[in-house]
Amino acid sequence: MLHRDTAFKISMLLPLCLLLVYFLLLISSQASFFSLAAFFEQLSSGDLRSAVALSLFAATISSSLAIVIAIPSAYALARIHFPGKQFIDTFIDLPMILTPIALGTLILMSWNTSMGRLLSNFGITLPFTVAGVVLAQFTVIVAISIRMLKSTFEQINPRHEQVARLLGCTAFGSFRHVTLPLAKRGIMAAIILTWARAIGEFGATVMVAGTAKGQTATLPSSIYLAMSTADLPKAVALMVILIGISLLVLFGVRVVLEHKS
Amino acid sequence: MIRAEKLIAQRGDFTLGPVDFDLGTDSYLTLLGPSGAGKTLLLETCMGLIPSKSGNVWLNGQDVTKSLPEQRHISYLPQDLALFPHLNVRENILFGAKIRRIDKSLAEDRLNSLLPLLELRKLIDRADVTSLSGGEKQRVALARALLPQPRMLFLDEPFSALDATIKRQLQVKLREINQQLGVTILHVTHDQEEAFMLGEKIAVMIHGKLCQIGSRDDIYYRPETLDVASFLRNQNIFDMTAEEILADGSMQMGHGIKLIAPGHEGAQRGQRFAVGIRSEEVVIIRPNKPLGPELQENLFHAKVVDILAFGGTHTLCVKLQKSEVTIDVELPNCAMRDLGYTIGNDLQICLRKRSLWTIPLN
Repeated sequence: MLHRDTAFKISMLLPLCLLLVYFLLLISSQASFFSLAAFFEQLSSGDLRSAVALSLFAATISSSLAIVIAIPSAYALARIHFPGKQFIDTFIDLPMILTPIALGTLILMSWNTSMGRLLSNFGITLPFTVAGVVLAQFTVIVAISIRMLKSTFEQINPRHEQVARLLGCTAFGSFRHVTLPLAKRGIMAAIILTWARAIGEFGATVMVAGTAKGQTATLPSSIYLAMSTADLPKAVALMVILIGISLLVLFGVRVVLEHKS
Repeated sequence: MIRAEKLIAQRGDFTLGPVDFDLGTDSYLTLLGPSGAGKTLLLETCMGLIPSKSGNVWLNGQDVTKSLPEQRHISYLPQDLALFPHLNVRENILFGAKIRRIDKSLAEDRLNSLLPLLELRKLIDRADVTSLSGGEKQRVALARALLPQPRMLFLDEPFSALDATIKRQLQVKLREINQQLGVTILHVTHDQEEAFMLGEKIAVMIHGKLCQIGSRDDIYYRPETLDVASFLRNQNIFDMTAEEILADGSMQMGHGIKLIAPGHEGAQRGQRFAVGIRSEEVVIIRPNKPLGPELQENLFHAKVVDILAFGGTHTLCVKLQKSEVTIDVELPNCAMRDLGYTIGNDLQICLRKRSLWTIPLN
């Protein structure tokens, strides 16, 4: 019996171990292209600082926006019955099905319409701006956050909200005092995942905002630029920096969350 | 206290009602019915959690049909209790007071008066409500529901997941709360024993309709529909015809056997009735003992054809002589031991007129 248990555990752990080995191989294979000189050169480069700052800023803003929109949207899809719900539920998955390049094209083309021109007249310009980077990332990640949060809200027993209502909460009050605290872990997981997805976003960002050095170039687009000019040591150095920053932030958030819970 | 008039509600394909009831001044109503009868839907509609399709609900004479749940001042104890897992025991109990902005010292006073009543002193400082036992969770949820001093307390099968001992303790506690705090309770259950033990008034709901509402005796001994009679485990039901309406209003019934049944308003000769008697109401006549005045009619000779043993009772299945009619007779174990019946024994039984009920059949 004990052997069967061990066999079961091994069969579950084995794919995980293989995946870990694969990722470690991917990363370690870059070692032959890694140059310490190039790495330090990149660290002191103004373009890199700008790319890092823009990546962190845009990912934080776009993931915050996505969560702010996703929380009520996901709740509505999980709890409220309204006409056309199934269609809307399917429709908002569109960004997850479309490639980021196609999404970026959609955003860019929409700016070439009368609505885009009207907004431009008011000084609101998105193509090839930082706002464009944020919008591109937001468009890619919002559906992911809605999907994650919808599943979180569906797992919360609606009786909790009903009891809260009868104990005196308004609909908004029961959402604030009961549903949101119960969804905290799911919301935090959604924040981490959307932020991670946003900081690595490339396709839609390049289409909408381009790769202007020191202006709209993010870390992923800087890696792309380095690769396109065959500057492998620079590309690897940038990759190491991107991986380092991402792991640092993800671990930091996880430690804070686990400490709080 | 609570009144519903022509209340209709819908969930999916299931339609509730139209339901009419008036709890009046009774302080404990149990709503009894099988699973899927619409009991929870009725509670949810009265609480405002589900909008009614039509009809009205009154609380303390005030029409609350359009009121929001939080405006009705009803507390609710659902089957799964729905304790808030992100709050500790104290925070759970004080939740309603905090939301309704009840003065902190007043809330603490109320809490202190509930602690001994619900035996919560040892639990109040527990941090994790999920670690409480089933009975402890029940008491915490009850305290949370009672602390805001609601107009009414609605209970939805609150003891269904508990073992028999804890269940009985909490049922006794609930009756104590009802009497001590004077809170009016509407209690949904499918457990007949629980309904009869706790309810001052009992309502029976079947297939989305409120079939009968009345006192314990009304429901138990005088069911008004065959659905109610069957649900309350009336095993002895006979399809009979009123052959004669007697001078005192009683009916001479016939069909397989002949017996005298209590009168029924508007009964006519030739009308069909379902006639029934609870198995524990059937009297076994002891030979050589003088018969009282109630035992002079509806006497039948019978033979024991089967014996079923239950926890504290035995059921004798007896076949009446010169007929195909079989009747269940329930005896407590001690009586069964004294009488010592076995299959094949002959005996005489009496179906007392006052123990019989009649329901007109269309």
